[in-house]
Amino acid sequence: MKLNNPIDTVENCRYCLMCRHVAPVGHITKDETLTPHGIALTVASQRRGLIQWNRETVAVIYSEPDGGNCRAHCITDQPLPEAIAAVRAELTAQDLAPAIVYRVHEALEKWHTPFGEERLAPATGRAEVALFVGDEAHYLWPSALEGALKLLEAVGLRPTLIGRGRSSGYLASSLGFPETATRQGQELLAELSASGASRLLVLSPGDYFTFNQLYPERLGIALPPEVALNDVASVLAEALADGRLPLRASEEPTPYAYVDPTHAVRVPQRFDAPRALVGAVMPSAPLELFWRRERAHPVGSTALQFTRPELADALTRARLEDAKNRGAELLICEDPGSLYQLKQHAGALSLRVKGLYELLAEHIAC
Amino acid sequence: MKSSIPSQMLASELEEIVGEAHISTKETDKLVYSTDWFWVPQMFLDRGEAITTPDYIVRPGSAEEISRILKLASAYRVPVVPWGGGSGSQGGALPIYGGILLDTKRLDQIIDIDEVSLTVTAQAGINGAQLEWELNEKGLTLPHYPASANCATLGGYLAPRGSGTLSTKYGKAEDLVLGMEVVLPNGDIIRTPPVPQHAAGPDFYRLFLGSEGTFGVITEATMQLDYLPETRLFRAVLFDDLHNAIEAGRLMMTRRLDPTVIRLYDSKSTASRIKRILGHDLDGAYMVLGFDGDPDIAALQEQKAMEICLELNARDLGREPGEAWWEHRYDFYYPPQNLKLPWMYGTTETVATFDKIEKLYYAEKEAVEQQFKEWKVDFIAHFSHWFHWGSMIYSRFIIEEPPEDPREALELHNRVWQAAMTAVLENGGMVNEHHGVGLKLARYMRRQYGDAWPFLESLKRAIDPSGIMNPGKVGFGVG
Ligand SMILES: Cc1cc2nc3c(=O)[nH]c(=O)nc-3n(C[C@H](O)[C@H](O)[C@H](O)COP(=O)(O)OP(=O)(O)OC[C@H]3O[C@@H](n4cnc5c(N)ncnc54)[C@H](O)[C@@H]3O)c2cc1C
Ligand code: SF4
Repeated sequence: MKLNNPIDTVENCRYCLMCRHVAPVGHITKDETLTPHGIALTVASQRRGLIQWNRETVAVIYSEPDGGNCRAHCITDQPLPEAIAAVRAELTAQDLAPAIVYRVHEALEKWHTPFGEERLAPATGRAEVALFVGDEAHYLWPSALEGALKLLEAVGLRPTLIGRGRSSGYLASSLGFPETATRQGQELLAELSASGASRLLVLSPGDYFTFNQLYPERLGIALPPEVALNDVASVLAEALADGRLPLRASEEPTPYAYVDPTHAVRVPQRFDAPRALVGAVMPSAPLELFWRRERAHPVGSTALQFTRPELADALTRARLEDAKNRGAELLICEDPGSLYQLKQHAGALSLRVKGLYELLAEHIAC
Repeated sequence: MKSSIPSQMLASELEEIVGEAHISTKETDKLVYSTDWFWVPQMFLDRGEAITTPDYIVRPGSAEEISRILKLASAYRVPVVPWGGGSGSQGGALPIYGGILLDTKRLDQIIDIDEVSLTVTAQAGINGAQLEWELNEKGLTLPHYPASANCATLGGYLAPRGSGTLSTKYGKAEDLVLGMEVVLPNGDIIRTPPVPQHAAGPDFYRLFLGSEGTFGVITEATMQLDYLPETRLFRAVLFDDLHNAIEAGRLMMTRRLDPTVIRLYDSKSTASRIKRILGHDLDGAYMVLGFDGDPDIAALQEQKAMEICLELNARDLGREPGEAWWEHRYDFYYPPQNLKLPWMYGTTETVATFDKIEKLYYAEKEAVEQQFKEWKVDFIAHFSHWFHWGSMIYSRFIIEEPPEDPREALELHNRVWQAAMTAVLENGGMVNEHHGVGLKLARYMRRQYGDAWPFLESLKRAIDPSGIMNPGKVGFGVG
């Protein structure tokens, strides 16, 4: 159900410090303003006329990654990320957002993605199962899709692909363009409906969150009730547990860590699935990062790479350093956007990055 | 716009010390750092009134940088206000005279975990929850569990002498310190050796515990640890009357049954908070008991404690409500379950020896309830930190419809505090047990200490002759 007046949430969060310990940007900058409390107090103060929107104050509003850590930790489930998206929508409507926000929006309108310059037509295939590809898997890390398709085939699923090269609407929503996000979402839902699928698969927790929560709460649209939503890692983990996914053990001796991708905290029920999968092929259990599971910080796959790239990069470096400190040499993750972001900086720390789906696909036992 | 030359000079010199990325004069930063968790500044902002902001927010990365900042501040005679998590409720971190707001959070490193002696040495700006996670990975714990661990820092635990949920067994934050590194107002960096105890002269490092940034900046501390307990047993009991409940607590403590937790809610708290958060609709004084450590010893201690409670006519509510309390103990702090503006509220916590504690509770309750009846004041309390010789009272007043005008609201707020503190001081209590003094209680310090107060003032003058460290706090410089 669409949230009513989400911005009012800032009245609760402005003097609450209870999710500070998991707030990613606050943690890496140590800046009180860039914490849930600081951002909420900024918005609450603007509403009271204590500050005006200007370049500097607006920059604060665009410094939050929309990764869901605050809400995931909030016992009373305050929708602060939704409030921030709504504030951003007010800013874009008044032409007050940073220039980059409009540039990304233009690309979203024109190409459905900021990552490529072609507008891919909606799919026309029909199948029982659809797989949402999105723009990050298409442009940034295509081997994740190839790997996932092989694995799904191994467990008897041949999905039709929807949303190839197209954003789910998350980015538009996060930047403060709910109408664009709604339009993109509705187009995807139409594509899904045309496919006749009764089951929608997604590659990442971010996409799961978008279809499951963002659409209804922020945009007032929803998957048809008869369509089941599953994430590929959970489907594969279930098949593995049932003995339907035969995997060969790898002899790769490299110490490795599993990196919970961006938005993982929003779908806590799937923390174990990728770990079970990676553990089935690698000779040892993954090294666990300090920032893991319910406290995992975002790495890529948010609007922050556009609005505050230096913060997005600092968050990524922090995850990589975390892995390095734990003794990892190889990082494994399933989310195309997170993989891409990790890869940009991994070399500097002599770390390698590998997609989970590709890794597993290489180890399907015939 | 005019530029002030000294101000520009200072900004540029501060930038030289901490680097451009770690100094801010931004409007939003000034706003956010203008308030900690004290009701008064929050109330002014809530009602749309601007308050004093810091001139510069600096985030030093080492004790050496702090030393240079303090030397600079002394030279320019500019106030320096240390800031940890800004979660203090007493206004201790408010930049009431502007100046330099010194955010310590970049000092966030764990320097050493000694798994033989069970100590951790960490920088003072480390976040409490993050420190605890690191320790837990090694099966260890810092047994200071304040409800603010998610947001407070190690330095912020020590500077106002905080207490955590498990303090009854493990002590207050200050009891867990073995040694510290402190930067003095003149820039000197001093360290005290991290030994269990000693007799090499006065324990001067204790001066910094409770000094709330008025004597210097704590930059590092070595703290005692414990193993994560093998067992934690919780149980709840209900007493018909508070008197018997306090007596039960007293017997458990004086007989040294070593409870981890005794949390006793007065009947109003039982009817409101316990009902709202735990869903138990009970009439009486709700007491949660906790024992931890070796399973056999904890079980025996619990058995002995239950014998005391039952002898004093308590009703055993079983384990579930005790365990649920432990599970949900911090839910009270999440909005909208917590106290929230525009309400007026304050925690008038106090501590006294057993002979005085019950009388003190009723005196404070009566003073607040009687004098502010027309404001429909709510007075609730629980007894949460117990000692072998006494207990603390975590008392609170709440006025749901205070005056809209901020100055009228402030005036009423101060009158309620005055009534509560007068009752406390007249009945043998202290003005606080663990939240520190800050700005809020500064005006009661002279009365609290009487003839001893000038001695404390002379210490302040000796340590901080320029008066740059957190002026106006802890009562220094206040009439
Ligand atoms: C939700 C909530 C629950 C709370 N529960 C508890 C509780 O259970 N127990 C408890 O004791 N308190 C509690 N408090 C009060 C407060 O959190 C504690 O006093 C806390 O320890 C303060 O830490 P901080 O890092 O936020 O310090 P701040 O608020 O930043 O500072 C507090 C004071 O210490 C000074 N200071 C901070 N760091 C240093 C340093 N490194 N060197 C010198 N001076 C310094 C500041 O100048 C200020 O005077 C609670 C507060 C909140 C908001
Ligand atoms: S999201 Fe919840 S925990 Fe975080 S600041 Fe808001 S109310 Fe507090």
